[in-house]
Amino acid sequence: MTHEAAQPFIMDTAFWTATIIFLMAYAVIVSEKIHKTIVAIFCASLMLVLKILHQHEAFHVEEFGVDWNVIFLLISMMVIINLMRPTGVFEYIAIKSAKWGRGEPFRIMAIFAIVTAVLSALLDNVTTVLLITPVTLLIADALEVDPIPYLISCVLASNIGGTATLIGDPPNIMIASKAQLNFMDFIYHLSPIVIIIMVFYVFAIKLIWGKKLVTRDELKQRIMSMNENEAIKDPVMLKKSLVVLGLVLTGFVFHGALHFQPATVALFGAGLLLLLSKTHEPHHILAEVEWPTIFFFIGLFIIVGGVVKVGLIKWMSVQVLDITQGNLFATSMVIMWFSAFASAIVDNIPYVATMNPLIVDMAGQLWPDLSGVQLLHHPDLMPIWWSLALGACLGGNGSAIGASANVIVVGMSEKAGKKISFMKFMAYGMPLMIMTVIISTVYVWLRYYVLKI
Amino acid sequence: MKAKDLMIPLREYLRPDTTLREAANILRTANRGEEKVGVKGLPVLDESGKMIGFLSIGDILKAVFPSYMSLMDLGDFTWDGMVEDMAKKAGGKKVSDMMTKKVISVNEDSSLMECVDHMLKNNVKRLPVISKDGGVTGILYERDVFFAITKAMLEENQGGAK
Repeated sequence: MTHEAAQPFIMDTAFWTATIIFLMAYAVIVSEKIHKTIVAIFCASLMLVLKILHQHEAFHVEEFGVDWNVIFLLISMMVIINLMRPTGVFEYIAIKSAKWGRGEPFRIMAIFAIVTAVLSALLDNVTTVLLITPVTLLIADALEVDPIPYLISCVLASNIGGTATLIGDPPNIMIASKAQLNFMDFIYHLSPIVIIIMVFYVFAIKLIWGKKLVTRDELKQRIMSMNENEAIKDPVMLKKSLVVLGLVLTGFVFHGALHFQPATVALFGAGLLLLLSKTHEPHHILAEVEWPTIFFFIGLFIIVGGVVKVGLIKWMSVQVLDITQGNLFATSMVIMWFSAFASAIVDNIPYVATMNPLIVDMAGQLWPDLSGVQLLHHPDLMPIWWSLALGACLGGNGSAIGASANVIVVGMSEKAGKKISFMKFMAYGMPLMIMTVIISTVYVWLRYYVLKI
Repeated sequence: MKAKDLMIPLREYLRPDTTLREAANILRTANRGEEKVGVKGLPVLDESGKMIGFLSIGDILKAVFPSYMSLMDLGDFTWDGMVEDMAKKAGGKKVSDMMTKKVISVNEDSSLMECVDHMLKNNVKRLPVISKDGGVTGILYERDVFFAITKAMLEENQGGAK
């Protein structure tokens, strides 16, 4: 085992320029003075203008530039969901869930949390909260209960549920692409622990809110008299959408075996559903793609590519190995807990964009003779990838700005006249985040270092 | 014909810190012209008499319409009495929270065609008329523009009949 950098790097002008751009970008993103997408695009362009990266590297070299697999997976899933939305299927699911809850306030909270977690795992958590929050606010008004506990419990559940699959949460999409992990790897390694966490989570929200939520019987009738079938606006398109979504999910299950990248599967689904929708105005559907998010990713990939090229990331990985002295269990624990708190403070997307190459560099130092998949999938490295995914996804729950889903829910809630303050979110999010990371710690330790399965 | 020839002189207006409850009552009882009681909108003026917004019936509807309803198709899942419940809650909101801040207005000397241009392009039925010193002197209603148009049409017909 060697702790020295494989190739020595020089702290020259390029190194400092790239480092300053990188730190500046992060500082401005955290400060929220300028929209994060604008910061990412501008700082990425600086990396190119100042010749830290050549345009060819930024656009075409996987190591330094944009990860198009991530970009096209995100765009394609957004297109599929944008086509599904007008069918009314999401309203149907939400109203149906509320009726399963028989109008009982806590039953509804628990069912909404579970439904949100499952939808987050199958679609993605940002889309899920966009769809579930309006219905949650409606249900809370119907029952005349405070909507804030419902919103907080849903968004926390969305970040937990999103952790379970490759497509559930953007950090997982990025990790999967960098580490060349497939959909079933995530199902096999992360879904079991997410199910366990969800069980604990439902108990926890029962303890926190179970007794505080009360309503009257006549208000429950408001929920029970809703007819979920009225939500379905376009049954023909709904059938087409469900068939295509089914195909895409099946495609994800087999993409590793069939040697397709996830983006290929998703792009095929998006193309097919666009074709089946017989729309003459793809303009609408495409305009609704969350372009600011997409360009945020593009900008970050280029910024991180710049600091990878000048060696800052390699230097950081040497420091991590120094701290943990090459002990891989210690490394995976440090990464999980550091990721959790870092993701609570910074958006977890730039964080993972930085950590991915750092872990690859670290692996390169630990096993200098290996390369490609053999290096990325080294048995001793795998728990580190899972620790990064668990830490970064679950860490998003730590604060109101920890994950995009939180930002969206807090924003929607404020618009509805129910402000969730930063501290209020943290008062629930942080303890629950710590609980879920403790459970994950036990899981990683037990599964990968004791039982070794 | 100019804006000032057709406008109804301004008698009532709203203040930004008036509650919606009071404002709705003012809208209900305000006089428009000679005979009609009740107006569909009034300008909001600050202390110096400068117009800072316009509150119309549409803004009052928006005040009871929950923001989440506009995000998804939830109209089928509302209940009897919901509007009344929301109205009770919205009564305490301030005019300044609900008023339209970007008001389309015209000058006293604006031509009638300019007024029609604003009405059609911005989909508004009322245009506050601003005097040279910046104060609101009246409101031009779509209905009165319509009367001016019908008058012109009838005159044209008489001319043709000769």
